Amino acid sequence: MLARTHRLRAAPALFATIALILASCQGAEPRELLVLEWAGYEAEDFWTDFKTAQPDVAVNFEFGTTDADILGLMQAGSQADIFHFYTGWQQFYVDAGLVREIDTTKLTNWDKVPAAMQALGQIDGKQYYLPWDWGFTSILYNTAHVPEVTSWDALFNEDYTGHIAMWDDGPAAVTVSSYIHNYDETAITDEQLASIEQEWKDQKPLNIHYWDSEYENLCPEVMSEDIWVAYAWQGCYASALYGPVDAEGNYHPEDAPPVAYANPVEGRNSWVGLYGISADTDSYELALQFLDLKLAELSCGNAVYLFYYGCANADVMAAVEDPVLIEAFGINDPSILESTNFTPPVTEAQRDAWTAMWTRVKAD
Amino acid sequence: MLGRRGALRFLALPPYAWLGLFFVLPLLLIIVISFRPETGPIDFDDPWAASLVQYQRIWETPVYLRLLGISILMALGVAAAATVLAYPIAYFLAFRARERAVFYLVLLLIPFAASYLLKIMAWRLMLGQEGAINSFLQFSGLTSGPLDLLLYSRAAVMIALVYVWVPFAALPIYAAMQRIDRGHQEAAADLGAGPWSRFWRITIPLSLPGALAAFFMVFIPTVGEYVTPSLVGGTEGFMYGNLIQDFFTSAANWAQGSALSALMLVVTLLLVAVALRVVDVRRLAA
Repeated sequence: MLARTHRLRAAPALFATIALILASCQGAEPRELLVLEWAGYEAEDFWTDFKTAQPDVAVNFEFGTTDADILGLMQAGSQADIFHFYTGWQQFYVDAGLVREIDTTKLTNWDKVPAAMQALGQIDGKQYYLPWDWGFTSILYNTAHVPEVTSWDALFNEDYTGHIAMWDDGPAAVTVSSYIHNYDETAITDEQLASIEQEWKDQKPLNIHYWDSEYENLCPEVMSEDIWVAYAWQGCYASALYGPVDAEGNYHPEDAPPVAYANPVEGRNSWVGLYGISADTDSYELALQFLDLKLAELSCGNAVYLFYYGCANADVMAAVEDPVLIEAFGINDPSILESTNFTPPVTEAQRDAWTAMWTRVKAD
Repeated sequence: MLGRRGALRFLALPPYAWLGLFFVLPLLLIIVISFRPETGPIDFDDPWAASLVQYQRIWETPVYLRLLGISILMALGVAAAATVLAYPIAYFLAFRARERAVFYLVLLLIPFAASYLLKIMAWRLMLGQEGAINSFLQFSGLTSGPLDLLLYSRAAVMIALVYVWVPFAALPIYAAMQRIDRGHQEAAADLGAGPWSRFWRITIPLSLPGALAAFFMVFIPTVGEYVTPSLVGGTEGFMYGNLIQDFFTSAANWAQGSALSALMLVVTLLLVAVALRVVDVRRLAA
């Protein structure tokens, strides 16, 4: 038998050995998920079904601020199991080997996603991404100060100097210009890009500011009527229609600013948010369940009713009865979708050129 | 056993390690990345050869260098204004507050506890078209309508930055004033020097090192400022720091962002070095 002092000295080594053996055990997936998200999406409302199904799983979030930022973080080695980005950037993650194919046979809500949306998450016939949130981009305008807007060129109208707000995004600026001038957005030439750059440099003084957060520095100023014409998503339109909220959480549409959401002759733009599972994840099954349950009625519905964004679950969208949301999503007007332009994929060269162009516009 | 010197070195190890890990290493990383040729996200596993292409792109884009110049001028203005405004505060604390000095010092330090973001957001309310300042100007009849230039302008950025930096700037000036031997003041008074003369010929020269420290303490970080311009600067208040931020977050072009950062670091350090050579503090104090 060991002397007592020897047993005391041996105890830490014994515990460490046992800990090492336990730590090296392979088997069950870790009971935690890390999601690379956009600010606001970490709210439990948007994954409440997963929270109910897996209450003991810790879901943690890290945040990106732009599609480029999220790609950069994933490329640099983010440990996120799941990442969220928007249409146009699908190819980059596949090319870099950052994303794992989604086994849709394990998704209980997959059949509720329209085929067209499912296709947005496919690269070379493989389902890499799960669509979740979606929406329109158009011109949100104050009808008390601005007559009916029929074109994207309202953003360039000097009559509204100091009351225009463009989104702080280079690819978006190229998209708007391509709509106005009927350029092929997928094949912008160097001459066209130079022209676009000058056009936005000339437009710069017309803005009250560029906005980068819809609910922080766009919607409040639409509500206060400092902004009359804005590049905006339908979420801000719905917010404006609902009107200001009082301390008790009641809406006051009677105090709402007079706004409208344009149907430009060039067509609205539409975007879809996509989720991917990291190729390096140790929690594939959990990640799959997380994404599946984001498509469930409650989680998906919360995106619609709390954030005023569309959700990929078609049953949820079909059940919308709120007249404000029907108006914001254009649910009763099929002509809107027919003329809508969907964001095409961006190439690496385009991404670099368009974002560099925008930095020159802002620095000018 | 460690001697006294060894013990001191041992105690200094943790802060040095912290500085090395979270300041020196990231700085070196930025400089190394600035020599990578990629225009997009960096895969650290990819082999690469050092290149000056990022610096060449900066050189070929005059608007970036112009923006650096504008940002430096703005930083000079903010630093000068903050130092001038902080000086009487420090003077009051050092020479007038007496037994209540600690109380007033606590009042000065309270803004440090408030969130930087909240303070800047408060300025958006102050400077807005229906903010406190515009409302007062219209109420008093000084203006007939709201002044647009108060918010979302270069002026708004500088106003907000001066407000944020004044409490910081007061501290080194206060520290320098506290070191002034009161005997100098008494001797000057005995020799017939009036209060104003004592202030100009004793207080100011001997507090200059603190004032210069305050100036550079404000100037250096302001050159790279990006949060305040993005909140209250609008399209005209864009600063060099915003450019760096854009390349890292909007363009995912870490190499270009790193090159812009390295350039800013070198230029700022050069300016400070030149200024310290030109301004002989000891001669001024004498």
